[in-house]
Amino acid sequence: MLYSTDRILTTHAGSLPRPPELRDMVLAKASGAAVDPAVFDARLRAAVAQTVRAQVDSGIDCVNDGELSKTNFTDYVRWRIEGYETRPWSGPRRLSITARDETKFAGYFEANPRMRALGPPSMPVCVAPLRYVGQADLAKDLDNFKAALTGFNVAGAFLPANTPGTIEHWMLNEHYPSDEAFVFAIADAMHEEYQAIVDAGFLLQIDDPDLPDGWNCLPGITLPEYRAYATMRVDALNHALRGIPPEKVRLHVCWGSHHGPHHDDIPLRDIIDLIFRVNAGSFSIEASNPCHEHEWRVFEDVKLPEGATLIPGVIGHCTDFIEHPDLVAERLVRYANLVGRENVLAGTDCGLGTRVGHPSIVWAKFNAMAEGARRATKLLWGRA
Amino acid sequence: MRASIDHILTSHVGSLPRPDALIAANHAHDAGAPFDEAALREAVAEVVRHQRDLGIDIPGDGEFGKPMSQRVNYGSWWRYSWQRLGGLNLDGPGLYDMAARRSQPGQVVLTSFGDRRDRRQFAEAYADPESGITTGPRPPAPICIAPITYIGHDAIQSDIANFKAAMAASGVEEGFMSAVAPGSASRIANEYYKTEEELLFACADAMHEEYKAIVDAGLVLQLDDPAIAENWDMVNPEPTVEDYKKFSMLRVEALNHAIKGLPADRIRFHLCWGSWHGPHMTDIPMADIVDVMLAINVQAYSFEAGNVRHEHEWKVWQHVKLPDDKLILPGIVSHATNVVEHPDLVAERILRFTNVVGRERVIASTDCGLGGRIHPQIAWAKLQALAQGAALASKQLWG
Repeated sequence: MLYSTDRILTTHAGSLPRPPELRDMVLAKASGAAVDPAVFDARLRAAVAQTVRAQVDSGIDCVNDGELSKTNFTDYVRWRIEGYETRPWSGPRRLSITARDETKFAGYFEANPRMRALGPPSMPVCVAPLRYVGQADLAKDLDNFKAALTGFNVAGAFLPANTPGTIEHWMLNEHYPSDEAFVFAIADAMHEEYQAIVDAGFLLQIDDPDLPDGWNCLPGITLPEYRAYATMRVDALNHALRGIPPEKVRLHVCWGSHHGPHHDDIPLRDIIDLIFRVNAGSFSIEASNPCHEHEWRVFEDVKLPEGATLIPGVIGHCTDFIEHPDLVAERLVRYANLVGRENVLAGTDCGLGTRVGHPSIVWAKFNAMAEGARRATKLLWGRA
Repeated sequence: MRASIDHILTSHVGSLPRPDALIAANHAHDAGAPFDEAALREAVAEVVRHQRDLGIDIPGDGEFGKPMSQRVNYGSWWRYSWQRLGGLNLDGPGLYDMAARRSQPGQVVLTSFGDRRDRRQFAEAYADPESGITTGPRPPAPICIAPITYIGHDAIQSDIANFKAAMAASGVEEGFMSAVAPGSASRIANEYYKTEEELLFACADAMHEEYKAIVDAGLVLQLDDPAIAENWDMVNPEPTVEDYKKFSMLRVEALNHAIKGLPADRIRFHLCWGSWHGPHMTDIPMADIVDVMLAINVQAYSFEAGNVRHEHEWKVWQHVKLPDDKLILPGIVSHATNVVEHPDLVAERILRFTNVVGRERVIASTDCGLGGRIHPQIAWAKLQALAQGAALASKQLWG
């Protein structure tokens, strides 16, 4: 377990900027175009090494591989499981994270169609038992990351993986008899990926935006109905995490990273117990944007699980303004005062990689976070 | 002017989203058609009604009389003055095309917009058309070629008449109207005056007429002068704070000269660091210029405090004494993000300020004008969140 024992440590939520040539190759591969595997592998390996170095240089203590091999944090699973066929599809995903905002802000989404959370042009439909087949791709990720870390003495190294509840956003089920059977089948498939990441010695980050943003996908649902919906998916996630010690797992939740109004995101207070139901030792929660910044107060009366750490987002993707280090420090101190300084790590609202205007903004925000963590350390420990 | 006597009042910085019909009317006017006065009058009536219905206590006219022919436009608050000042050749080079100028120690000069320091530091981000750091159209800018005079008498009287009619129709007693301050208005090329100081004070003398017209009409005058803060980014290389303050104090003197004889208790001042959606790494800290701002002879000060570059600066007021007769209008909701501020956050931000300066001294406002800078639906949702959050804060403060 990583604690801020004698200073506030920094980390982030996942995706990082990647070189344009690599991005083009990742997208080409995903669209089925022929990409020279040797060239791709070499580029990816070099880019992962570079991104680890850049994180260390920007003052990030717990680093990752920037998700550089993946189309995005969830769709990559398409290439790692089988048991589905693809059918032509246009429009939103099966479950769209902008659905609730679109009911109130239709004009905004009409004027800014890119803000709609669109899916790929085909829909996977589960028609047979799901099975994990991503071993080779995953092994490459593990190997590239391990190699990139050589020579660096980082406080922590994590790799993200997606969850059953979020994978369900983009896959239809025609095989399993119920939603529950389907979601637990995804869990069984993903278990293999989770286990392999931990076995490789890395901290496993579970990316579960669905836990809050399923609410945004289902505009008509009531709170009790939603809590039942989310509970089943958390139980499926725990099923996927079976046998993995919680201290090897950190959970990341956010309300969907689209740049829309987020006017009716579900309050953290309504789901905090479900978040803590996940068998994780560390909890990364979106907390810096103006829809969620006030929710630090939830921790005035909600206790962290015994031994757990909290990673509030203290910098965010929702604006290209760079957070002032004093604001970062102010946010960290608020949390430290409530849950204990050693239990707080500085984090980001979501992966910044493709979500802010430009790569240079990601690194400037990281520098601001690192400087803010130093200032918070000074305030909390009375020394730099 | 009204203060938060029994609840936290709400207002905003000025620009509000123009309805499509008004944008079309402005566009047609640009192309030579006679201006559709009725469309403007009706739009002002509607925008005042809308503000009242959302719970904005001190509304404005949305700056609808300051022409905007596009949905995205960050400059109308200032460019309108090019139509209201004589002595200008309106066909000069664009602000981004001018030559860069370098400052020397003890001798601060403004460089071109294209040479601003944030723009240099993040050159690739600013150059990327997909980065979202957009500020709308870049029309030709004026060159001063003759004595500056005020020629906007008809325009300001029309703005006043439209706004007062709208206020009466909506039962609103106090409203504000913005006007550009000399320091911001004088950031144009000069071929006539011997010095920039002469141009600055000529703008002050000319704009005085507009300020007086607004105050004489019984409206609260808001002086827009981001230049006091954002010029810092427009001085290259970075000057010393001391040099910069000296440079800015001259703009304050010009502004005080421009409002000479007008009642301070009918005037508020707006400061911001430039409203474009860039990184803003080169914004000068509020702590360094707060005394410059407070040297302006007005009753109330509006400033950005709702974005991530300036949110922490509420603490400045723990160390700076706000004179007893002054009010502040901190930015509580912002154009910097599409994400709508939660009313609980709005209340929290308001309480931070009231805890330091007292509840009667705070009017909840916006970072900058929302019109042209954010989608209309989001702008209205933010003003609604502002009103809801102010009500929550009032409940805590007055019980």
